[in-house]
Parts: sequence; structure tokens; C-alpha cells
Amino acid sequence: MTAVTTAHPAGRRTTRDGFRQVLHAEWTKFRTVLGWVAGMGVATLLVVLVALLAGVSSDQKGSPPVPIGPGGEAVTDTCYFVHQPLAGDGSVTVAVSALDSSIPQGLGDLRPGVVPWAKAGLIVKESTRQGSPYAAIMITGGHGVRMQDNYVNDRAGLRGPVSAASVRWLRLDRSGDTITGYAGTDGTNWAEVGTARLSGLGSSVQVGLFVASPQVVDGMGTTGSVSTAAFGDLRLHGGWTGGEWTGELLGDHSPSFAGFPGNGSGSFTQSGGRFTVTGAGDIAPAVRETLPTGGTLNDILTTGTFAALIAVIVVGALFITTEYRKNLIHVTLAASPRRGRVLLAKAIVLGAVAFVAGLVGAVLAVPLGARLARANGVFIFPVTPWTEMRVALGTGALLATASILALCIGAIVRDSAAAVTSVIGAVVLPYLLIANPFMPASVANWLTRVTPVAAFAVQQTLVQYPQVASHYTPYQGYYPLVPWVGLAVLAGYAVAGLAVAAVVLHRRDA
Amino acid sequence: MRPALHAEWTKLRTVAGPGWLMLGMIAATVALSAAAASVVTCAADGCGGDPTKLSLVGVVLGQAPAAVLGVLVISGEYGSGMIHTTLTAVPHRVTAFAAKAITLTGVVAAAATIAVLGSLLAGRLILSHHGFTAAPGRPALSLTLRATTGSILYLTLIGLLSLGIAAVVRNSATSIGVILGLLYLLPLLAQAIGDPHWQRRLEQFAPMSAGLTVQATTDLGSLPLSPWAGLGVTAGWAAAALVAGGLLIRTRDA
Amino acid sequence: MSAPEIVLTGLRKRYGATLALDGMSFTVRPGVVTGFVGPNGAGKSTTMRVVLGLDAVDEGTALVGGKPYRSLRCPLNHVGALLDAAALHPSRTGRNHLLWLAYSQGLAARRVDQVIEQVGLTSAARRKAGGYSLGMRQRLGIAAALLGDPPIVMLDEPFNGMDPDGIIWMRGFLRSLAAQGRAVLVSSHLMSEVQDTADHLVVVGRGKAIADAGVNDLIAATSSGRVALRTTAGPHAMAVLAHAGATVVATGSDTITVSGLPADRIVTLLNRSVVPFSEVSAHRATLEDVYLELTRDAVEFRAATPTEVTR
Repeated sequence: MTAVTTAHPAGRRTTRDGFRQVLHAEWTKFRTVLGWVAGMGVATLLVVLVALLAGVSSDQKGSPPVPIGPGGEAVTDTCYFVHQPLAGDGSVTVAVSALDSSIPQGLGDLRPGVVPWAKAGLIVKESTRQGSPYAAIMITGGHGVRMQDNYVNDRAGLRGPVSAASVRWLRLDRSGDTITGYAGTDGTNWAEVGTARLSGLGSSVQVGLFVASPQVVDGMGTTGSVSTAAFGDLRLHGGWTGGEWTGELLGDHSPSFAGFPGNGSGSFTQSGGRFTVTGAGDIAPAVRETLPTGGTLNDILTTGTFAALIAVIVVGALFITTEYRKNLIHVTLAASPRRGRVLLAKAIVLGAVAFVAGLVGAVLAVPLGARLARANGVFIFPVTPWTEMRVALGTGALLATASILALCIGAIVRDSAAAVTSVIGAVVLPYLLIANPFMPASVANWLTRVTPVAAFAVQQTLVQYPQVASHYTPYQGYYPLVPWVGLAVLAGYAVAGLAVAAVVLHRRDA
Repeated sequence: MRPALHAEWTKLRTVAGPGWLMLGMIAATVALSAAAASVVTCAADGCGGDPTKLSLVGVVLGQAPAAVLGVLVISGEYGSGMIHTTLTAVPHRVTAFAAKAITLTGVVAAAATIAVLGSLLAGRLILSHHGFTAAPGRPALSLTLRATTGSILYLTLIGLLSLGIAAVVRNSATSIGVILGLLYLLPLLAQAIGDPHWQRRLEQFAPMSAGLTVQATTDLGSLPLSPWAGLGVTAGWAAAALVAGGLLIRTRDA
Repeated sequence: MSAPEIVLTGLRKRYGATLALDGMSFTVRPGVVTGFVGPNGAGKSTTMRVVLGLDAVDEGTALVGGKPYRSLRCPLNHVGALLDAAALHPSRTGRNHLLWLAYSQGLAARRVDQVIEQVGLTSAARRKAGGYSLGMRQRLGIAAALLGDPPIVMLDEPFNGMDPDGIIWMRGFLRSLAAQGRAVLVSSHLMSEVQDTADHLVVVGRGKAIADAGVNDLIAATSSGRVALRTTAGPHAMAVLAHAGATVVATGSDTITVSGLPADRIVTLLNRSVVPFSEVSAHRATLEDVYLELTRDAVEFRAATPTEVTR
């Protein structure tokens, strides 16, 4: 035992036990009011019921399967592919002298335009199966030379656009599972762009030219595009000795392919060593706009969480304002005169109950809602178990933090109607604004950075990819802040509320 | 009835809360409408939107203070116990409740008129800078008139719906939670629902999305309900809540 | 309108498992202050709420001036009541609170200033009621009860929170209301508060009236009058008195307490049997005694006796 504890043994124990007593008292207060316990139960129920409703009401039976990449993520695997099977190790080179894209203007009237992520180049693909592993080196419409593999990986090479005056030479080497991409401007000097390891690649692979042309962002929406590339000097080296080239549009019926604009189609022409290839689609991870029919855990949970939020805000505000209304606060403060600790104890009790309500709700809602949605043919963007756990814990934390905020505002304004209105207003108004599809992305993103709705980021499961052009807005399920930072914004409000409430409780007569 | 109305009006004007709430309703409605009008952008081939509906979008926010006033008019008295004094003074309970409803209607309708006309004016001024002055962007006067009177009626009906709910629930915080949930949650729920048929059903049923169809002046075919029918749904909600509240006030011990 | 009376007949009301009123019947007459006393939870407030039409009864009738309250037009002109002085909007001034009440009865604002002066609240009338002391709220509540100059006044625990000056004022005020010919019903759970004010008492317990009589009759009828007797012939005196039916207890070497016989009868008995005694002092029963005796079986929340606690 230290000197300090022997000096004030009794005092120390009283202090520590004192807080436990306050906590116990507040817990007893909470659990003995049927309405508050019921309110928290309603919160859980709302999360689950809305998830069930969202699952039951969806109907996409019979839609084609969504391609899944080697990493387990949803992908889009559509391009025009001029290929032949090749066995063993070897190398392929080509010169690209043009990449021209067209975008529909008005009704089917194609005009030349810029498609920053239009792709043309060389690809080594395990097979023509949707979602099969690949590595590719390509020239893009606006991002120079890139080396990409397995849908999600992307490395930059030479900058600048391609033209007849500035031809780009591309090369892919295969050595076992290792594919290396090179680029150059003359066909003799090569700079390595990147190396990809495609595990489990068989001896025989499909090798060739590809052209892809993804959707482009156009105002509030997206529009399809089509691109044509000119290739020359296509040569096979090393162990590879070529046969006939065949061309086909991969992933023609994939749900992540919206079709050719203006009733066009993919094609290739060959004359000597020169190829002209026209294609559409994209080889990339799927995002919300390329797979609009896909569902997320976010879709299943967020509306129910929003409903539950209203319930826990009401309970949180009542937990303290009832004491003022009935002057019970005098009894409470007489029993434990240190007011800050009473507030803290209330916050802990309330937060713990709301956390459990949200966690239980999410743990039940996610599997039930997802199962029902899948049974109705909805594709759910796959998530890792860690993400699923984060979403469930985050939902609990979101409800807990919001209820504590309501408690603090209740302690400050001492009126339940005012507290409930202001906290619901602070959450509802920005949420309504971001839930409007016509809200400009800049405004929506700003709102989800600074207002309490930033916390809904904790439920996001979609990933933004810089190599895919799309509207990454909260409405689409993409939040500007990473999950825990978004929650931290709300927590910041709650902590500030606690501090102000503690000061106010201290200074003001009860 | 007249003394009861005089008493209710005196109650409303002798505390600061109702006045502030109505000011808040006007400010919120005009501010959100103006903000929406100023962020809207027109593509080269035209704006395609509904300028009148856009200028009145603030009603979505302004209905919250109207709802809170509707709740407080009665649940505030249940909280303090003053309802006993009220019902002792006016023992015919339906009269007492009707007096509250009529007073609330007058106050909310008056404030809503200012809020809606202010929003329209602000929207006109801001949108004219965005090129909405061209003839195709201007709807017929009768349609604008319908949107205007409809929005004023809508705000008033939301106040009455809240009064009815509060008379049933009696606790102010819970009543506000219920009414705001009913208003704002159902449209969100419609978004979460995948089946378009059910989505439309819910939009026809929810008091906010049905009632606000009255604001539309263009593209009427895409509405879940015709404008006046939509407002009729909101009126149905308000009537049902008032009848339930009135019946409970009559039969329940105060 | 018929006589300004409150007539309650066989009121019965059940809240869930509790029987709040169990055949409550009594009449409050004009010109007297009727005290309405009983332990907490005996049904006093419920009875008053039933009189005012706030709560509905399962059985029985409550008539004020011959009519049910809820059928009255401008009821504050018939009955003035104070139930809960704290039932105010905290940010409305006292005067404005009276103003809306007055308007609800078609009364003019002039009447509001009259009653404010009558209860001595003029200086505070234009302040927010949230800042009032309990005593000021009681006065405001009484002002509200007097607004319609009603022939019947009903006050629930009006002495609560009043300082001694206020209590003295309240007593005089209630007596003056009765002297003006009004029927006045005043409830209290403290006997001492109504002892010097009420002419008539209704004692309630377990939801019904267990006594309904004049204050003096009640005291006279109680059996708990005791007589202290000082005598040197203790055993002899005890035998004589016990034979006559009294309960006798020796309380000292030469003192005896006798109950069950009036003092004059004791003197006669002792003289007839030639028992010497030096002092006979009658101890008059107080309302407190009456009340305790009447409500002994009716108390719902009786504190456990120490022996029960240790067991």
C-alpha cells in the first residue's frame, strides 16, 4: 500500500465507491421507467423491421450473376478482347497510335469526347471467364499509361495522351505467375511500369489486345461511351509463337455493363500488323453507378438506424428533462452533490443501453435483411467479416453518441420539447438533404463532413476507387470521411455538449 | 365557444414560445427555399425542374416548428398539470379541444402565409438570376396559386396532425418524436424499398410526400397522386389524429 | 340554480387494482367551512377531481348546485377550485394566467385585478409564475378560484407551503368566505390546520367517509376522553371505577388515569364510595385524537413499528 492511500484510505474508497453508487442509482432510475426501456426496445425493433422491409420489398429475381474478382469484390469485366491462347512464358509488344472516344449527345447522337478512363492496351487473362485474374498494360484517355491487375490494382506509367505523333509502345512479359509491364516511346527503350503476381495462373492463358470505354460522369448522372484504338507492330516473343487472333466482347450480358451507346457494337479489323479495335465497358472494380441494382449493408441498415435515432434521442432527452420537470433533480443533486458526475453517470448508463440497442439491432438486421434481399435476387456488395463487425459496432456507437448528445442538450435547455426538436433537427435536416439525389455533391459532402450525419459513415461498405470515375456521394453510399472519423465528428459534438452541460449544471441553480 | 377561443388565444399570446416557433417556421421555410434556389444549376439544354416547387422546398423544414407548436399547445399543459385548470374552466372537453385546434389553425395559417409568400418571392428573385425567366420555365398562374394555397394549407394541417397526436400521446418529447418520425421517416423508407410498386404506395400514404404533391406545377404525370388528392391524404391524417385525440380527451380521466 | 351545495352520492372508482373511492358520500353545505381530512391516499384529491369532472366515476353521482359539473356553462361562476398550485406555465405572468381563465368564462380583465388585490398578490402579478414561491402560487391559485365569485369554493391542501402569516391569513379568509354564505370545502392531511377553521368535518379513509359531523359533536363523541385522578387510596378507587365500567391505569404512586367515564360521573362515584381524592382533571379530546382513532384502521401507508422492523 502506498503512502498516499494510507494517508487517506477512507476518503479514497468513498470517492471511488461514490461514483459507482451514482452509476448504480442512474441505472436503477433508467430501468424502472417502462417508457424509456420500451423506447430503447423500439429502437432495436425499428432497425430490424426496416431491414426486413427493405429485404422483402426488393425484387430482382432472374437478374444475371454479378462477376466477382479474385479478391472477392464485385467487378465489372467488360471489354472488346482480341486474343489467342498461349502456353508457358513469353512476351508481347504493341504500338498504340490512337485512342478516340465518343459520347452520346442527346438521343443517340455520338460525338467525339474525352473519356479519362478509356483503356486500350495489352492484357494477359487467365481465361475469358467473367471475373478471372488478369494483368494489363494500357494507355488511357486522360491518365497516361497504366499497369492494372486483378481489377483493383493500378499503377501509373508514362504521362500524356497518345497520338500518331506521340506513339506509346507497350509490353507485357510473363514468367510463371509474374507479369511485368513496360512502356516506351520507341519500341527499343523500355521502362518498367509495374509487376503483378497472379497466383494460380495456369500454363495456358489468353493474351491479346483490349479496348474498354467506361461510363463518364455527366452532370448529375453518367453516360456510356465507346472508344476505338489503333494498334500496330503487334509481336509475340520468347516462348510464345502465335496463331489466329479472335475478337469478342467479354461480359456482354453482365449486370455491370449498360450496353453500347447508340446501338453500336464492338469490332476489330486486322490488316497486316495493324489492328483497329472498338470497345465499351470497363475492367475495374464495380461501383454503385456501374452496378445500380446492387445492395449494400448501408441500404439495409441506414433508414432503420435513422428511425432508431429518433427513438433514442427522445429517451435521451427525457432521461434528464423529466428530472427538471418534476424537480426530481433536487433529490438527485442532494443525493450526489457533484453535478458533473451525475451527468457523466447518466451519459454512461444511457450510452451503454443505446449501444446495446443499436448493436443488437444491427446484428439481427444485417443477416436477416441480406438473406431476404438475396432470396429476392438482389446482389449485395460483398464485405469482409471485419467490415460487418465494424458496421454493427458502429451502429451501436452511433445510437449511443446521439442519445448522449440529446441528454446534454436536455441538460442545457432543461425542456424536453426543445431538446428533442433541436437534436432531431440537427440530425434530420442534413440527412434529408443528403438523401436527396439532386443535392450537388459538394454540398452533400460538406454536410457529411461537418454535421452530425457524418456518423452515418460508420455504416458505409462501399470503397471509392480513383481509377473509376463516378459520383462518390453520400446518396450513392460513399461518405467523404472514413468510418471512424465520421463517427468521431458526432462524438465531438457529444463531448462538446457534455462539457457545456457540465459547466452549465455547475454554474446554474438546479 | 367564443370565451374558450378567447382564452386559448390569450394563452398563446402571453408566452414567448409560440411566437418564436412561428418566427422559426417563417425563417426556416424562407431560408431553405432560398438556399435551394441558389445551389440549383441549369444544364445548357434547360433547367428541367419545377421552379415553383423548388421555391417552396423550405416547407419541408418549416413544418417542424409548426408541428412542435401543435404538440406544445396541448402536451405542455399535460406536463405542467395546467390541463386540469383548462378543463375545469371549460368542462365540455370537445369544446376545449376544438378551441385549441381553431386557435392553432389561425396562428399557423397566418404565419404559413408569410412563410410561403416569402419563399416564393425569394425563389423568384434568386432563380431569375439563373435563367428561369424564360417562358417555358414559368408555369401557369393557376398552378402557382394552387401550389401556394396548398403549401399554406399543408403547414396548417401538419400543425393540426401534431395537435391530435399530442392529445393521444400527452408527453411532449414523445409526441415530437412520433410526429417528426412520421413526417420524415416514411419518405426515407420509400427510398429504402426496392419494389417500385410498394414505393409508390408508401408515397401515396405518407403525410409528407402525399401532401407536398400539391406544390408540383410541372410533370404532373409522374406524381404518386394528383395534387389536391395528395393534400387530401394529409388532411385525412390530420382529421384521424384530431378525432382520436378528441375521443380520448372526452373519455380519459384528465 | 338550487342551493349552492356539493352533494356526493356513493362514488366508486377503481384505478387498476386500487379501489380509490369506495362509496364516498357526503354533502358540503353553504355558510360553513367543511374540513375534508384523511390520510394520504384516502381519496381526497380523487373526490375533488370527480367533483370537477376531471375524472369519471364507475358508480355514483357528484352534483354541484344540483348539476353535474360538466354540464355547467361558465363553471367558474359556480365553483372555484384550487387543485395543484404548481400547475402553471412557468413563463406566463400570474396576471396573464388569470386573464385567460377570466376570458374563458366571459369575464372582463377588471375582475382579474380585483382578485389579485383580494389575495394580496398585486406586487408580483406581472412577474413570471415560474419564479413564484409556493406560498405565492397558493395565493394565485386562490385568486383563480375566486375569479367567478362562485358560491362554492373547493381547495385542495391550501395550507401547503404557507408561512405562519400566510396560514393565519388563510384561516381568516376561509371563514370570511363561509360568512358570506358560500359553501367551502378544504382538504388537509394535517388535523391541526383545519382545527381552528372548519365548522364541519368529513373524515375519509380507504375511499369513503368514515365520519361526517360538526367539529364539537365529533370531539364529544370520541371515547378517548381521559381523566387524571390524584388519590392516596389508589386500589380502592380503581376497584370502584372499574366496577362502573371504566378503564383504569395506575400511572404513578398516587395518580390514576381513567378513561371511559366523564369527570362528573367519576366524582359522584368516588364520593358515594367515600374514596378520598385531591384532584380530578378532565383531559379534553382534541381533533387529533378523534382523527387518529377514526383513521386507525384506514391508514394505507402505516409506518412499520420498531418491533416489526427488527423482526
